[in-house]
Amino acid sequence: MAPAALPDAFVYDAVRTPRGKGKDSGALNTVAPVRLLVGVLDALQRRNELAADVVDDVIVGCVTQTSEQGSCIARAAVLLTGLGDGPPGQTVNRYCGSGLETVNQAAALVASGFQDLVIAGGVESMSRVKMGSDGGAMFDPPLVLGRGIVPQGISADLLATLSGITRQDVDAFALQSQHRAASAIEVGAFGKSLVPVRDASGLTILEVDEYPRPGSTIEGLAKLNPAFEVMGTQFGLDALTRKAYPQIERIHHVHHAGNSSGIVDGAAAVLVGNAAAGERHGLRARARIRATAVVGDEPVLMLAGPMPATERALKKAGMSIQDIDLFEVNEAFAAVPLAFMQRFDVDDDRVNVNGGAIALGHPLGATGAMLLGTVLDELERRDLSVGLVTLCIGGGMGIATIVERV
Amino acid sequence: MGITIALNEGVATLTMKLPGRANVIGEPLIRALAGAVEELESAEGLRGVLLTSGHRDFCAGADLEWLYGERDAAVVYQGSVALNQTFRRLERLGVPVVACIEGAALGGGYEIALACSHRIALDSPKIQVGLPEVSLGLIPGAGGTQRLPYLVGIQRALEHIGAGQPLRAPQAARKGFVDALAPDHDSLMAAALAFIEAHPKHAQPWDQKRWSFPGGVRPGTPMARNVFIGAAGFLQKKTAGAFPAAETALQVIHEGLGLSFDRGLEVEARAFAHLATSDQAKDMIRTFFFHRTAVLKHAGLPGVLPHGIEKVAILGAGMMGAGLAFICAKAGFSVVLKDVSGSQLERAQAHIHEQAGELGRLDEAARTALLQRVALTLEDEPIRGSDLIIEAVPEVLSIKHAELRRLQGLLAEDGIWASNTSAIPIGMLNEHSADRSAFIGLHFFSPVEKMPLLEIITTEHTSERTLARCLAFGDALKKVSVVVNDGYGFFTSRFFASYLIEGAQLVAEGHDPVLVEYAARAAGMVMPPLKVFDEVTLSLGAKAFTSRELVTGEALDLPGIDLVLRLVELGRNGKIVGQGFYDWQTRTIWSGLSELTAARPSETGLVLIQERLMLAQLAELGRAFDEGILNSARDADIAAIFGLGFAPNTGGPCAYADRYGLPELVARLSELAARHGERFKPAAKFRDMASAGERFYD
Repeated sequence: MAPAALPDAFVYDAVRTPRGKGKDSGALNTVAPVRLLVGVLDALQRRNELAADVVDDVIVGCVTQTSEQGSCIARAAVLLTGLGDGPPGQTVNRYCGSGLETVNQAAALVASGFQDLVIAGGVESMSRVKMGSDGGAMFDPPLVLGRGIVPQGISADLLATLSGITRQDVDAFALQSQHRAASAIEVGAFGKSLVPVRDASGLTILEVDEYPRPGSTIEGLAKLNPAFEVMGTQFGLDALTRKAYPQIERIHHVHHAGNSSGIVDGAAAVLVGNAAAGERHGLRARARIRATAVVGDEPVLMLAGPMPATERALKKAGMSIQDIDLFEVNEAFAAVPLAFMQRFDVDDDRVNVNGGAIALGHPLGATGAMLLGTVLDELERRDLSVGLVTLCIGGGMGIATIVERV
Repeated sequence: MGITIALNEGVATLTMKLPGRANVIGEPLIRALAGAVEELESAEGLRGVLLTSGHRDFCAGADLEWLYGERDAAVVYQGSVALNQTFRRLERLGVPVVACIEGAALGGGYEIALACSHRIALDSPKIQVGLPEVSLGLIPGAGGTQRLPYLVGIQRALEHIGAGQPLRAPQAARKGFVDALAPDHDSLMAAALAFIEAHPKHAQPWDQKRWSFPGGVRPGTPMARNVFIGAAGFLQKKTAGAFPAAETALQVIHEGLGLSFDRGLEVEARAFAHLATSDQAKDMIRTFFFHRTAVLKHAGLPGVLPHGIEKVAILGAGMMGAGLAFICAKAGFSVVLKDVSGSQLERAQAHIHEQAGELGRLDEAARTALLQRVALTLEDEPIRGSDLIIEAVPEVLSIKHAELRRLQGLLAEDGIWASNTSAIPIGMLNEHSADRSAFIGLHFFSPVEKMPLLEIITTEHTSERTLARCLAFGDALKKVSVVVNDGYGFFTSRFFASYLIEGAQLVAEGHDPVLVEYAARAAGMVMPPLKVFDEVTLSLGAKAFTSRELVTGEALDLPGIDLVLRLVELGRNGKIVGQGFYDWQTRTIWSGLSELTAARPSETGLVLIQERLMLAQLAELGRAFDEGILNSARDADIAAIFGLGFAPNTGGPCAYADRYGLPELVARLSELAARHGERFKPAAKFRDMASAGERFYD
């Protein structure tokens, strides 16, 4: 028996803050994470003229849920906006996939008919709440030893080694990310989603992404020392990978700060709803969510999750890789999108066309929601139809979402 | 310009002395400090710095002229950023810097001291230090919120900055706001030099890796979280949400403790710029600084003459008479306190002794001398030769007339007769005066030891000379004097009555009395109306209604007044008998009140009640203007705030009218008048201003 047709889940709007450098001197360091989130929620409400109490839920991705990002930051933010007391809030941690996870959950709730209008999104102030400061079950010694869990950078170097990706490859990719981000900023490709961060007086705190280094050169990148070599070889962490990859005699440590994602602060919000909600609130749908997928994968290599996640999403959508016009593959490390292109044999003129996290930064819990807006803006700019967003996730997971313009 | 540097054996003495009479923080001082620090940075062999003032005050805070006029948040923000940078350079010179505090160090002035390594103050209660910014609708804008928690602890810093109450030097030393006291200039300087010798490599607490916060509460701990939650509760209890500056201070202290020191300064600077350009800060600065200063100088009045008063007689030894006798004696006048009742005089004497006993700074001889300046008497004769007679007998015209007729002959030549009536027109009291040019109203407020206002009422007969001498007399008593024209209830009493009556009226209409009280507090009113009514006693209110009717011929036919009369009948006369609107044992609204009132109206709520309470007062303000009682908006705002506890956050009723908007006010008052009666009718003054597009203040 064929399943009854489910309602469509539409993306009505997507906004994000510019990303600030994730350290004490970063522009957004003075802005509490809850206020970053309030900023994008307010912007979403203002742009779409949403009345109070019309949003059914606010689901926010946030990885380091402690201190100022602890308790339930989603609900705390709702209470500081004009969205009313009606919308509840929940905070989601699926590591780097959190932001996209919220979009997928919102889509699932809407498509199932359980909810009508949901805000998805994410927030991470990496300058104020340090990565890893929440401790964690992933550092449980029996797990680390039993499965051979290693820090992500070593996984990234392992992925490069396994895929035959060289230092030259990752540096060249990093440089391209910088160049693409620089020209995207110059032509205003991010303008539609970007919401400046302002203080209480309306003075601008940050209005453009702060992290990019448009002046990067291949020579400069080549000079940087591999970040995970000492950890891998001298502290012996590479050895942990042998259990799963006995055939790899030596890991080539190719990643460094210049070809890995940047530590930044930022927030994003995406408005997802069914057709009826759109009509009721006078919203114009920008895209339909065609399929979502989240998968578990081998945890030592950890970062290869985008591949099976993409396969699953394509299968669910009844599409092939050729049907995708533009890809956003999160640049956690340069090897991830490079391995992705290799695996699916897609040209780099369809992948991360406006640069990615290497140039722009990766505010952990927010990135997925940001990338959804980025691909949507670019599809509209180029008048293309279908986009796929995918991210690798700690613990060996992957997530993907396919959107189609309407 | 503004700061001189003298170098002696590696110790630089920086002396702040801006042109004019005081060091205020504005562009000139910010620039001078930056220049001085730059010079110190390149000074050879520098071992330490002494920061002193060439004026009486160390530095009394921001240049309010500048701040009041500045509406651009970016400019204010940049000012703070520049000053912060200079302070950071000063504290990173690598040598100890000692603030030598020999005069007031308030607001930005105290923030300069906080950026020094060590603070030594003269051991004198005359020297005030601290961060009073919230009392002007501001927060400290040059690091005060960020540095103070390190020095005095998180909780104490929250309390101090949130309340905005300066400390006297001895107390400041006990609480850690200054590090040491010195008895005189020379020993202060010696102590400062000794500190420099002993601490060649001083680093500020916020620049040290580890710092043990006084009070034991460390940032980021569950204990700290509880302190902040507690502070939020305490603040709400105190302000009912009417003072955003204090709330901002809480936020800024909280955020700063979680950030690097320099970024915390930025958070503070942004918040400061936002508040400094807000209407509330402008209104509070205008009233509490400019208006208050102008009123203290009697600006706009014909002038002040020496009061020439040595002996003061006070008729009537009630609460007011006794209090007046005390403050007059304290100010050095020789006082005769007269009453017809011996027991009343005894109570007055006890009160005066008690008050004198509370003057902690007075030595025994001075206390005895003070008490000896008051003579209590049942006789008339001791009054003879008084330069000023203040009549404070019961508010009954015939009694007041009789006192005048019997005693005015005892005045010294050139003596002044003053009535302390709170409502009866002076023009009715002076009918039998031998010299109406020397007859005046001096309306003090209870408790007179604490309340700063003196409302002076002149008639068309009162001479400028009498007024000028009474202004000097008010100055001698350290009062803030406002001069108004004659009419029933003058300005303050009629204005205050409109508030109390509206509170009673709302209750009589069936609005929840608990909500009435909270609404007033949330609007910023210092005291809620029913509680005040109970404190002044309901029968006095009832008498005032009768007296008002007698004098003005206008009857106020309101259920609210009937309710008050009914409560008096039931023996619920107010706090003095333990029951009124409140049950004073439990300090809660009397549970039986609803049986005397209408049923709960269909339309009610905080916003509606608040508007009624505030706009009833504004309507009365308008009528006082129409009737020529008030000479200026300044006088109205000062009198309402300093005499009656009108919402300080508004800057006064005229400022409130401006913020409401005159056209909107007229429209809303007309609507309220149509629904609730003539007392809301917008005055011609408001209508004229609205149609001319005028405001009280630009």
